[in-house]
Amino acid sequence: MQHTRIRWLHILAAILALAMIAAACGDDDDEETSSTASPAQTTTTQTAAATSEDPDPVTDSDGSDAGTADAEPLEAGEVTVGVLVPLTGELGEFGEIVADAIEFGVGEINAAGGTSCGTIRTVIADTGGDAETGIREATNMIESEGAVAILGPTSGVMVALVDLAKREEVVIMSPYAGTITLNELGGDFVYRTVSSDLGDGAASGLWLSSRGYESVAFMIQNEESTISPAEVARTEVTDAGIEITDFVVYNPGQPSYQAELTTVLANEPDAIFLAGGQESGVTLIKEAVAAGFDGEWLFTADLAVPEIFDAVGAELINDKAFVEFADADPSLPEFISFEERYEAAGDPFAPNSYDMVTLAALALEASGQCDGAGINSVIREVADSGTAVSTFAEGRDALAAGENINYEGASGPLVFDESGTVSGAYTIQQAQNGEWVNVEFYPASTFDN
Amino acid sequence: MLFLQFLVTGIVTGCFLILATIGFSLTRRVEGFLNIAHAELLGVGAFATWWFNASRGWHIIAAAAIAVVITALVGLGIARAIYDPIRVRGPAVLLITSVGVAFVIGGVIDALIGTGIRTLDIGLATSYEPFGIRITNYQLLVVALAALVSVSLALFLNRTRTGLAIRAMAVNPELAASRGIDVRSTSRATWLLSSGLAGLAGVMLAVIATLTTDLPFAQILVILAVAILAGLGSLYTVIASGLIIGVAMDVSVYWIPAGYRPLVAFAVVIIVLLFRPEGLAGTRAA
Repeated sequence: MQHTRIRWLHILAAILALAMIAAACGDDDDEETSSTASPAQTTTTQTAAATSEDPDPVTDSDGSDAGTADAEPLEAGEVTVGVLVPLTGELGEFGEIVADAIEFGVGEINAAGGTSCGTIRTVIADTGGDAETGIREATNMIESEGAVAILGPTSGVMVALVDLAKREEVVIMSPYAGTITLNELGGDFVYRTVSSDLGDGAASGLWLSSRGYESVAFMIQNEESTISPAEVARTEVTDAGIEITDFVVYNPGQPSYQAELTTVLANEPDAIFLAGGQESGVTLIKEAVAAGFDGEWLFTADLAVPEIFDAVGAELINDKAFVEFADADPSLPEFISFEERYEAAGDPFAPNSYDMVTLAALALEASGQCDGAGINSVIREVADSGTAVSTFAEGRDALAAGENINYEGASGPLVFDESGTVSGAYTIQQAQNGEWVNVEFYPASTFDN
Repeated sequence: MLFLQFLVTGIVTGCFLILATIGFSLTRRVEGFLNIAHAELLGVGAFATWWFNASRGWHIIAAAAIAVVITALVGLGIARAIYDPIRVRGPAVLLITSVGVAFVIGGVIDALIGTGIRTLDIGLATSYEPFGIRITNYQLLVVALAALVSVSLALFLNRTRTGLAIRAMAVNPELAASRGIDVRSTSRATWLLSSGLAGLAGVMLAVIATLTTDLPFAQILVILAVAILAGLGSLYTVIASGLIIGVAMDVSVYWIPAGYRPLVAFAVVIIVLLFRPEGLAGTRAA
């Protein structure tokens, strides 16, 4: 999951260079100069009360926005965990879900008495999805706040933090960074409680191949996180003997996508696989339907939100649209238990976020070291060896009894591979009467081969 | 037929670029600098339209009208509060300052609007297929507005006292002042006009696109491309430049992958500048 604004901020220098050329060309009286400007991103830092009673951790207790809050000083008997998420921008809704689920997990941990290093203190910062802001805030969390782990970065931010995490020996973990770049970079101080994007591609390909389509068009947002899984899906669909009429890679941030749709619609596919963000996705759907497209859709996770029905118009996609996303196995007792304790358990990536902070706390407990190196040294063992546990309290008690533990997460069994990635399960939902309804579930075992 | 479809789509894209760039070019000619914050003024217009239409339930025309007025006033306010006091420092400082202004406007919009996507309450576009070429009512509206704005602006600049004063300031502000033109009020009229045009482009952005707080600033590159290609010539070169870049970007998809559309826009700019370093206009003109 990436953020489109980053692209424009990063080429700011190019804008200025062009502007200078234009100024020089167009006005002889203009004074030549060269300068750069630093993008001024709004960031937020907050100390969240380590209690499960706080319903909205991204808002202060007085109701003021987190952007105005300061971190409270570290007190004796506390260990700091950074929560680095996008609270603004297109992915802001996901960031809030993740931050809330982490706070719920922290509340449970602290209510159980905290770790042997102390209760968990969180420091929240908004990246806006921007890698540069992410590095700045993460550095602040580590150097000023003493964070031993940083939880919640999106893909682009996560990749940008790899060097920092290894250099500072601080664990970074994400519940939704599916980027395949981490398939190479992850595994040491870098973990994720979600599967790689390649798994999304396999699940999408499997679904498209099972629908009896004769032809499918691919419309893919120009991001590494969407292109890579789409390539996997393309292979699967081609192997199934289905014609791929178009494989269009488009740039987001356009007012209209009519040019991209022209050939796609002319080839009249049975279905369109749309791997894109909400902004481009909604415009594309509306333009395609307005132009007469009457086939089925498969969307990716960014469109798996209820807001899509209001934005697109539910009547346009009801019964025709499906969405694929990494999901917890709803039949697992660990998920059912989590659902009973946390009312927002069904939100995208909420179980993964809860698992992430619980794992970090159990690793702190198991290592006996109150730092990132300690977490890094035992996190794999905590996730996959010994007595099965599904909450921090259970795990701590088992560790105190001298047992090894196997944390079975709300999002599924968490076994980290070499890249620090877990294998995942996937859900397909269908648009029905203005809401997403489960129609297929692919457990992790589906993709073992 | 497929090629003609790309051509029509390109003309619509070009017309949107005309709307988005014409105010930017006007500021550039009269005030003498590239106002990078112009793209965020599109955001002011777009989100004001969204707020009045989708959030307050106003009819789209009323929402659009008030959004244009608000954007014009915001643009004028920014000019008076920020650009006027530093005008003596020259166009480069104004340019860099405008980048900062863009981020401030973007931040304020972020804070006010919040996360996620926004769409107007105007229903799905209706498609027509004259001669087998598909076009929607919203696309026709973009074309009609671009034509109306171009003609109206040409008449305003050529037939009204304020318009003539703006043209005089664009050519030589010192001489214009010495001939009795009220430079200050003419500058304010320019800001109102250019910002109002940004607001109108923002309205169309809200009509045809799905709004996020990032979307307006994402238009700055192509606005710059059109403005640079046009050079410091007359209004007509902006129109020609918008159409050239719009058609080039969309027709290019007929042959090369769509991901290269921005590259095509700047390739056109570079090629033209190689032969005409001062843009399509050639020399500065009013």
